[in-house]
Amino acid sequence: MLMHALHDEGVELIYGYPGGTALHVYDAIFRQDKIEHILVRHEQGATHAADGYARATGKPGVVLVTSGPGATNTITGIATAFMDSIPMVVLSCQVASHLIGTDAFQETDMIGVSRPIVKHSYTVFDAKDIPKTIKEAFYVATSGRPGPVVIDIPKDMTAPENLFDYQYPNEVNIRSYNPPINPDQSQVERAVDAIIKSSRPVIYAGGGAIASDAEEILYELNEIMDAPVTNTLMGLGIYPATHHRFLGMLGMHGTYQANMAMHNADLIIAVGARFDDRITNSPSKFAPKAKVIHLDVDHSSVSKIIEANVAVFGQVKNSLQAIKETLKERIQDYDKGVLEPWHGEIKEWKSMHGLNYELYKDESDSHQILPQAVVQHVYQITNGDAYVTSDVGQHQMFAAQYYHFDKPRRWINSGGLGTMGFGLPSAMGVKLAFPDEEVLCITGEGSIQMCIQELSTCLQYNLPIKIININNEALGMVKQWQDMNYGGRHSESTYKNSLPDFVKLAESYGHVGIKIEKNSELKSGLEKAFAMKDKLVFVDIYVDPSEHVYPMLVANNSLEDMWLSKDKKT
Amino acid sequence: MIKRKLILIMENKPGALVRVIGLFHQRGYNIENLHVDVVEDFAPYKSIEDKLNTKFEPNQISRLTIQTTVSDILMRQILRQLNRLIDVIAVSNEEATYFKGVLLDENLL
Repeated sequence: MLMHALHDEGVELIYGYPGGTALHVYDAIFRQDKIEHILVRHEQGATHAADGYARATGKPGVVLVTSGPGATNTITGIATAFMDSIPMVVLSCQVASHLIGTDAFQETDMIGVSRPIVKHSYTVFDAKDIPKTIKEAFYVATSGRPGPVVIDIPKDMTAPENLFDYQYPNEVNIRSYNPPINPDQSQVERAVDAIIKSSRPVIYAGGGAIASDAEEILYELNEIMDAPVTNTLMGLGIYPATHHRFLGMLGMHGTYQANMAMHNADLIIAVGARFDDRITNSPSKFAPKAKVIHLDVDHSSVSKIIEANVAVFGQVKNSLQAIKETLKERIQDYDKGVLEPWHGEIKEWKSMHGLNYELYKDESDSHQILPQAVVQHVYQITNGDAYVTSDVGQHQMFAAQYYHFDKPRRWINSGGLGTMGFGLPSAMGVKLAFPDEEVLCITGEGSIQMCIQELSTCLQYNLPIKIININNEALGMVKQWQDMNYGGRHSESTYKNSLPDFVKLAESYGHVGIKIEKNSELKSGLEKAFAMKDKLVFVDIYVDPSEHVYPMLVANNSLEDMWLSKDKKT
Repeated sequence: MIKRKLILIMENKPGALVRVIGLFHQRGYNIENLHVDVVEDFAPYKSIEDKLNTKFEPNQISRLTIQTTVSDILMRQILRQLNRLIDVIAVSNEEATYFKGVLLDENLL
């Protein structure tokens, strides 16, 4: 019945791992052929794979695990999806109803353990409720501000002798849950008033704009407005990175021009973004001259950190559409010519401090490979058109800065939670969704070891992902902070002589490994890797371990206070 | 930091209460007084019924009263996040009542 309901919900893929309390469900999987099950090597991998699938496709990711350790191993993956508002349904099996609360073998209160990191959760107390519960869970996970939903299913609820008349509900109505869809026109008018009055606007778009598939309408609106656009780490790709009005990413490691534009703006239009602390730096010093229009589907995100002057609640896509229509009607009041001095200033900022790697053009073997150069080569070789997943740390920031995404849902990373180990399993989820597309994982030797067991899954399902391991033989971002704030004392952030031979490791899992140590080998080595279309290639690239990520905001200050290099500050 | 009283109307379902309490606990706030009742007289909640386009039935909803000491800003954030919980129908403090993020005219207190 569970499998029927999942099929009726449109589920094509499940990521999971069997175990005692899940055996009835796994037998049902064996006896059907409509839903494909992907056997991972660790339940955390299942949640990240489902998460990657959801980010790339927009469809909810589905995870199936057994009780106890199976369920608790999904926690990091659920928290990752929760922080980034990714739709996911986790089916965690549970010990039989009569054993709950008796410390039975592999029993955990999964609903209790997961409570703070789910959008909602359900326990099935009656097998007859399974179809309705599945319907509701998928509705809650995908509507409004999306998020993960857990369904705990005691083993007896899935027993094969439990036979019922099966009917999948056509619609769902939860009376206490009505996420806003269309914006209030009076708020839209107020937003347009502010846009008309502004001469220094910035559009600041985040993950919510991607969740709402708002790329086209955002583009159309800005064809009228002609404002500069910046994206958060989660929003990269929602506005074409190669567009002349694009400022790059903002925030902690944002570009000089994006942070300067935000700080000096008179109007910030926040589109599905939540003023995270990695964006605002000190909220009291954030954008002192700016009015804020905040478009969001979630009431609790607005005026949480930065007070909004105009709040437009609704699906971000619909809100943008309404603003566009209203602005069009009042177009005689809008003069985009007044933005010219603003564009001039931004152009100057851009030319003053572009991304700092531009300073090092020399790629001879006299110095070590720069991590930024790795990403730039990967960008060129893949024509900027690949699905790129990432882990967490310096390599993630270099990827976000130097891989320029023109399309949404191509940049897959753990933004909110910052989960190391996310990259490889999420790449599996993307590759399973889009087998004909180039999927690569930009990672580091620290992160990749946190879910490296999934190399085995990649062999089983023939997933020719390209793994770009930016190897600096240290936990780079930790080390950078220790260099900058702790007198260079590298406490527990290095492991130089204990790293595995990644080439042999990849080979032992049945894949191809390539090691690159010199600048002169970089381009050819990467080209060789990407030429092997049907192989997973693990490219282990040794880079300059002393390299830091810049720009970097100076803590507890405004957005115009940045480190631009190791010795240069704004 | 002021002593405050909050009233919640929510679905009478297992797990609903603990989700509400969790939001206070997470921030390190102590709940000084807590009272839960199954609602039997729906008359005061007619406006919510109208908004929801539903009819409350016996045993379906509970009324929860919480007393705690929190700052203004945090109170607002907690109110909004309580409102976001799927099983919560309406939240009310001394000033106003929120129904799923929307301000209702009348106060439930």
